[in-house]
Amino acid sequence: MSRKKELEIKGIFVLVVLVFLIFLLVPLARLFLKSFVGDAGLTPDFYGEVLTGRGFLRAFGNSLVISSVSAVVTTLLAFILAYGVHYCNLPGRYKGFISRAAVAPMLLPTITYGFAIIYSFGKQGLITRLFGTQLFDIYGFNGLLLGYVIYTLPVSFLLLSNTMSYIDKKFSVVSRIMGDSPFATFVGTVLRPLLGTLAASFVQCFFLCFTDYGIPASVGGEYEVAATVLYNEMLGSVPNFSRGACVAMLMLIPSVVTIALLHYLEKYNIRYNKISQIEIRRGRIRDTVFGVLSAVILACILSVFAVIFVVPFVDEWPYRIQFTLEHVLGVFADNSLVTVCRNSLVVALLTAALGSLTTYGAALTTARSHLPGGVKQVIENISLITNTIPGMVIGIAYLLIFSGTPLQNTLFLLVICNVIHFFSTPYLMMKSSLTKMNASWETTAMLMGDTWLKTIVRVVTPNAMGTILEVFSYYFVNAMVTVSAVIFIAGARTMVITTKIKELQYYTKFNEVFVLSLLILAVNLAARGVFRGIAAGRQGAKRMVRRPAFRKQKA
Amino acid sequence: MLEIKNLKKSYDGVTILHDINLTINDGEIVSILGPSGCGKTTLLNLILGLTDADEGEILFQGENVLELPMEQRGFNIVFQDYALFPNLNVYKNITYGLRNRPSISTRQEVEDLIDLLGLREHLDKKIEQLSGGQKQRVALARTMVMKPKILLLDEPLSALDGVIKESIKAKIRQIARDYRLTTIIVTHDPEEALTLSDKVLIVQNGTISQYGKPDDIIKKPENEFVKEFILNQLLIKKNNIFTLFRQGNAPEMAVQAGAAG
Repeated sequence: MSRKKELEIKGIFVLVVLVFLIFLLVPLARLFLKSFVGDAGLTPDFYGEVLTGRGFLRAFGNSLVISSVSAVVTTLLAFILAYGVHYCNLPGRYKGFISRAAVAPMLLPTITYGFAIIYSFGKQGLITRLFGTQLFDIYGFNGLLLGYVIYTLPVSFLLLSNTMSYIDKKFSVVSRIMGDSPFATFVGTVLRPLLGTLAASFVQCFFLCFTDYGIPASVGGEYEVAATVLYNEMLGSVPNFSRGACVAMLMLIPSVVTIALLHYLEKYNIRYNKISQIEIRRGRIRDTVFGVLSAVILACILSVFAVIFVVPFVDEWPYRIQFTLEHVLGVFADNSLVTVCRNSLVVALLTAALGSLTTYGAALTTARSHLPGGVKQVIENISLITNTIPGMVIGIAYLLIFSGTPLQNTLFLLVICNVIHFFSTPYLMMKSSLTKMNASWETTAMLMGDTWLKTIVRVVTPNAMGTILEVFSYYFVNAMVTVSAVIFIAGARTMVITTKIKELQYYTKFNEVFVLSLLILAVNLAARGVFRGIAAGRQGAKRMVRRPAFRKQKA
Repeated sequence: MLEIKNLKKSYDGVTILHDINLTINDGEIVSILGPSGCGKTTLLNLILGLTDADEGEILFQGENVLELPMEQRGFNIVFQDYALFPNLNVYKNITYGLRNRPSISTRQEVEDLIDLLGLREHLDKKIEQLSGGQKQRVALARTMVMKPKILLLDEPLSALDGVIKESIKAKIRQIARDYRLTTIIVTHDPEEALTLSDKVLIVQNGTISQYGKPDDIIKKPENEFVKEFILNQLLIKKNNIFTLFRQGNAPEMAVQAGAAG
């Protein structure tokens, strides 16, 4: 045989599959089993109990309603922002600001959003005091809606902005020259090519809202949603793991449906190879309208976060508002909080390192090997499954299977949980980048005496470094802000910042909550800056590899 | 001498190549010519060792190399898209193989290749800064450093235009002559094949249509395919060119083959 047997890549494939077998499929199977097993053997009773008891169906219905409404609102707002960036003659720096500000909420945990809303729009809130009256009741539907919109806006904006940059704007010119009315041009050359992405944005936002735990945990109030029911079943005052497992399984249904929809919508995804740059028509009214609308949207979002920068630096909000560093210093003087911060950093760094390694290995087997299609499909399916599973479900599955093992209460468990939870998007980024590289490199290098591994080290990895850094950064930031999965597996010694915030909420220590949130924000901003700096230094003026059109963000 | 005997290759039960028999002498330039999908790239990959044959023999200097893995055959290839490594500069690309086999070329031999291919002034450049012709020459140099026993070129000219094409043709001829290197070129362009090579192998429907010197192919086409598709194409080109020059525009300067690229 002259064809090289690719033993190395087979080894990598086996390793990747083993990791997902042990840390994804087995825990999920255990969860599935748990939802059926009671003291008296197999029984469907738990599903019966869940479906009939404690307002589960109402909470489920609430989740569907609030998630749908949020998804529509978010997609609309994101469209306005993206249209301003791609179709209007706004100043370049303003466009840059819109693009950056729209994705800023990603750098904070969702659990913080809720508290920011309370301290902005609550009875004694910053914005309430500015207006002199409370604008709306924040607990329940309104608060959830606001939180979800802020939470999902970055993802929706990225999706729409990405597709808009690929739409050939020359079609608009052709359409106008052919005598179409402005409205017909808009529908035909902007809206129609965007339909798939708009739908994808809706589905994606819906999924995120449905599976998020952080926002309802803080502003849900009496308006119960599926995620809060799930939390209460597992970690509430009367925990029932079997019923919790049932709720988790039921939560999978909308997840599976949304992911199936996303895959279906992928067909409507337009792909242009070349992005043609074209001058945008003059349109003063259009520019003014979208410029102002964008400013209003971003002001609303950023104003919610303004409170984070105020509350921890005053004596006692809202009664004594002299500037003080007491709270900040207090956090750093508190040993348990310092440990929590260190845990978070360690987990984020290890997640980024292990995650980059796992996605790189997986992407190498699918993008740069001659393994049969069926084998590659295994990796694709893993990516699909990780994309479908809400973080809470993974967390509960881990809680069930690793309790009592040496892995319980280890940072390693948090790390591996994050690696698996966020696998899908970085894997797709990595695969897309590796696929675009010249297919003959390995053959050429082998003819010059390289082994496969040598080629990977000398040629493929240096050329993939830009994407590897992006993946590293993606894992790092997400590991810093995630709460949904780790809330179930972080123990007393392995507490991270986000789970600590949940605990501090219980003791109503909001100064600490905001100081810790600021810390996460600062770390994430710094990390992004560093990774971008390294990437820019490496690549020179070369453009970064484009992101895949459909990327997923998870809580 | 490279001899190919009764070579056969099929994918999933579909025969791609069959009854391939030919002999290539040392130092000859041979072009494999045919329409897309005729199997010419498969033949190149079979010789290189990238693809396994179903039946037949490939003898190099009397020894069957068919069972040898690609990297042990000692042949080398320049791919159509050059496959240069963008993370390395021109010089590091050229000397890539020396890291694995430091003694394969001496320092002087490398310097000679750099001068022969006119790359001296580009050595510190990044790959993305090069033109198509420059990339082709870097890829050629990188492969030549490995001292291949046979040089395989996959569509070496199809991505290049005009005068650059002619200059690369001249370089390929010069290398084959200077190093007495057997060179096998895959192309779909009859003009390229017939003006560049000592012999042309015309492939159609997975088998040899005609194999001979360019002169013989022009004067004694052996079948309708060669007449209709190969010669006819050249005739149209020839007539077009003649029409152009008949209108009183006498050519004022000769083509400078081997000039800048």
